[in-house]
Amino acid sequence: MDSARIPAISQRFRLAANPALVIVACALALLALGLTVLFSASAAFRQGTYFYLNKQVAGALLAAGLGWWASRTDLERWRAYVWWIGGVAAVLLIAVRVPGLGITVKGSHRWLGYGVARLQVSEFAKVVMVFCLAHILAVNQTRIRDWRHGFMPAMGIVGGFTALVVIEPDFGMAALFLAVGLVMLFLAGARWRHLLATVAIAVALLSLLLVFNPNRMQRLADFSGKELPYQLKQALAAYAAGGLDGVGLGEGRQQLAYLPEAHTDFIFAVVGEELGLGATLGVVSLFAAIFIAGLAHLRNAPNLFQFLLVAGALFFISMQALINLLVVTGSVPPKGMSLPFISAGLSNLLVMGLMVGLILNTRRTWSRPDFGGGRALLEVSPERPEADAP
Amino acid sequence: MSSGFTSDYRIKLLATGILAGFAVVGMQLVRLHVLERPARLAEINRARQEVVVEHARRGDILDAHGDTLATSRTKVALAIDPWALDELLAAEKKPERRERLRQSEQQKRARLAELLGLPVAELEKLYQPVTRDPRSSEIADPRNLVEGRIKVRFVKFNEGVEESLYARLTDGKLYPQLDPKTSQPTPAAGLVGSRYGVRTYPQGQLAAHVVGFINADAQPVTGIENFADFYLRGADGWRESEKDGRGRELAQFRTREMPAADGYTVVLSIDAAVQRMAEQELAQVADKFHPQKATIIVSDARTGFLLALANWPTFDLNHYNQVTPDGIARLNNLAVTDVYEPGSVFKIVAASGALEDRLVTPASTFDCTLPSIVFNGRIRNLPAEDKSDHFDHPLSVAEIIAHSSNKGAAQLGMLLGQQKFYDYARRFGFGERTAIGGPEKTGWLHRPEERDFDITRLPMGHSVDVTVLQMHQAMGVIASGGRLLRPQLIREVRDARGSAVYRYAPVVRGRAISESTARTMAQLLMGVAASGGTAPNAAIAGFEVAGKTGTTQKLIEHQYSTTHHVASFVGFFPASRPEVVISVIVDDGHPPGGGVAYGRLVAAPSFRHLAEQLIPYLDIKPVVAPGGSGLFALKAAF
Repeated sequence: MDSARIPAISQRFRLAANPALVIVACALALLALGLTVLFSASAAFRQGTYFYLNKQVAGALLAAGLGWWASRTDLERWRAYVWWIGGVAAVLLIAVRVPGLGITVKGSHRWLGYGVARLQVSEFAKVVMVFCLAHILAVNQTRIRDWRHGFMPAMGIVGGFTALVVIEPDFGMAALFLAVGLVMLFLAGARWRHLLATVAIAVALLSLLLVFNPNRMQRLADFSGKELPYQLKQALAAYAAGGLDGVGLGEGRQQLAYLPEAHTDFIFAVVGEELGLGATLGVVSLFAAIFIAGLAHLRNAPNLFQFLLVAGALFFISMQALINLLVVTGSVPPKGMSLPFISAGLSNLLVMGLMVGLILNTRRTWSRPDFGGGRALLEVSPERPEADAP
Repeated sequence: MSSGFTSDYRIKLLATGILAGFAVVGMQLVRLHVLERPARLAEINRARQEVVVEHARRGDILDAHGDTLATSRTKVALAIDPWALDELLAAEKKPERRERLRQSEQQKRARLAELLGLPVAELEKLYQPVTRDPRSSEIADPRNLVEGRIKVRFVKFNEGVEESLYARLTDGKLYPQLDPKTSQPTPAAGLVGSRYGVRTYPQGQLAAHVVGFINADAQPVTGIENFADFYLRGADGWRESEKDGRGRELAQFRTREMPAADGYTVVLSIDAAVQRMAEQELAQVADKFHPQKATIIVSDARTGFLLALANWPTFDLNHYNQVTPDGIARLNNLAVTDVYEPGSVFKIVAASGALEDRLVTPASTFDCTLPSIVFNGRIRNLPAEDKSDHFDHPLSVAEIIAHSSNKGAAQLGMLLGQQKFYDYARRFGFGERTAIGGPEKTGWLHRPEERDFDITRLPMGHSVDVTVLQMHQAMGVIASGGRLLRPQLIREVRDARGSAVYRYAPVVRGRAISESTARTMAQLLMGVAASGGTAPNAAIAGFEVAGKTGTTQKLIEHQYSTTHHVASFVGFFPASRPEVVISVIVDDGHPPGGGVAYGRLVAAPSFRHLAEQLIPYLDIKPVVAPGGSGLFALKAAF
């Protein structure tokens, strides 16, 4: 979309077609569908009919609040505390490993909190990493092609967060951190050879981890074997059961003790069974729409920091969604990853709210006409290149 | 797509990658939703659909007065799912709460043990988690797997308790609760019940051969259980429904449902009280004479319905499987599955025939000392009389019956001729099944053209094989005024609500002799129980007893034995208005004092004893003729 070609007379249309608003609309649509399907998926659980729905509605309201705050907060002010924020995140990521502080589920230490109010630290670390990385890459903008002064400091942040997530252990999430981090470096202009070397090292480390983890090797073997793993088999059955138009809301059977994690990682399969191909393609399209709108929105970025901040948020949302969708359709080996806006899970929902809020934050300043009020002009950072001006 | 902060191609490259990923997902979805659907759908249906069979309750078998002879009850086999406790505890995240839950469950188990009357330690042992190897090609739910082995979720420890006790065991209110205010009261975790129907016979061995039993595979094997299975079994219902991943039925997805139709109740003509009298009588006979086997049949003379059918030896229906292999014959209903030579009782056929065809009158006389006689141009040897009998004067037909003359019977038969005699035997129901139900022998009645048809021996009941019930039925012809009545056991069939579905009426299979001949025969048969007859000990004061003794030498290794006999007495009373027909057949009894086991000695006393009990029970009135004496009718007939 080339905003320059849009006549000034259709100011209203221009506002409505603003890419950031498309993102919000898509996110809200996904959230609404998510709540509906989540209710259906979890109503028969032994925790009670409304247990997960109530939690998720509360989470959605909190996420909306967080998003609203994030869309209005002064990012430049927070930039002043960027290393404090990064430090706190790192400390909390370590704290989950401390016995007595962290909550352990199925051998993984990922949560802090008490009772139902427990938060997955690594989810919030996503925002922090994007924030820190966008800052340091913006600061080192001119030295990015330099291995020592440009690439390494930023890569250190990515590697640090990734490592802290790996030791939880949460390999899927760590891979996502690494991938988004590399994408941000790539977008910031890092050299191909630096990136490829990093990827090579990462792949080598990953293989080592795989080899020394019989559990994970088994999973991989299961996936490549003739007989599909139980959970995936049940998920694939759900799409078949749904067919073109689905069996109807509340009529799905796979969540009734057939499909494990029907309300979290594998909720997309429930969408498939209850609402059919139209709805699943719809969900994929909404995520694709968020991604495309996000890229369009990026064009208007006033400075590299905000450009990378929005890009990081966008890629976290899109890549997480993509990995989940690939997993639950049996396209790649199983990896625990929740589906943004739809899966049950408080932390992920809050972080998605924050990320959409950050994208909206930039909209407020970016979409303002250049001839507008003085505040907008003041907020334009001095480094802003003129190339973007019409 | 340029933003100025990054090269255009870098964004394009990433965008292409991500969008390609979404495209892959889209294609996968089309494949999964549409292309691979048929194959997967079949698999899903296999996993989800189930047909739940709802077993019909088998109908009861009642006696004529509604006493239960056979009934069905539901029992609940008890088992423990040892993993249920583990999983319940594992679901509780907070350690301190989990500990409290563990203690609470321990108290509940103690209570469960108390309710069951089991030692606590024994119950605790059942809660030890067990696993088994997966069967080949078994794909288990990973939640059911522990280190590659499958959790055993059904450790049976009780063969079955009553439904009422099971209801108590599963009533949470009877258990101590962790937080009584907040949560639903729950029973001890892990108790599992499995319902099944059992057939019980409240009266034990009473009428065992008539009622029959159901074997361990729920197949009806003998007796009414087998014969009337069509009515008793009912029709199992079923419902098509779905089950969830743990195998629990999902009632909301039931598609088709066919309710079970409970079995019908079969009401027998057997009267438990009469049956008990007969069985007690048999027990006494067995005690006194140590026979090989014995049978008593009591029936209603007017309708042919059986009031009692008892065989000795017998068995307890509830423990049919405890019969020793060598005693397996006691499961047979000897009255229809075994044949014997009826002997003198069979003489009623020749006498009735000769009287019916007006070849003789009761007063016609025969020389019963002749060694042989010319029949159809051939000299035929007549049978010998019993050693104790010497007939120095020609015997009237009445005397032939009363004294049971073999030579007399043979001459009556010859008078009738072979074909006529055979026809009468058939009209009395011999050579044909009684169709009472279940396995039954036809017996053996030679046709006149056969070489073995011996007109000198047949009239006295030799060289003919009959079942006890056939003989009883034949005597019933005389008791019922000449009609051959089908012996029947079932009176009525009722549906599960108790209303009659089918009533059985008496069945007249044909007329054997005229009513007047039958009356004459009845009077002649009274002579048997009169003084001078073969069984004066069968007489009951004030009641006209008609009957016929029989004493047959048993064929042992093709020789008639002089030490093994079948003693019988088949009769009815009151003779001029018969109400009950009683047969007493004792096979190979031995009188305590030694000597031949004559029907008079071994069978007639039982007949009398039984009759004496039946008189008050069935309220049988003595026949008082207008002349003031029961014997008037007899005299008037001569």
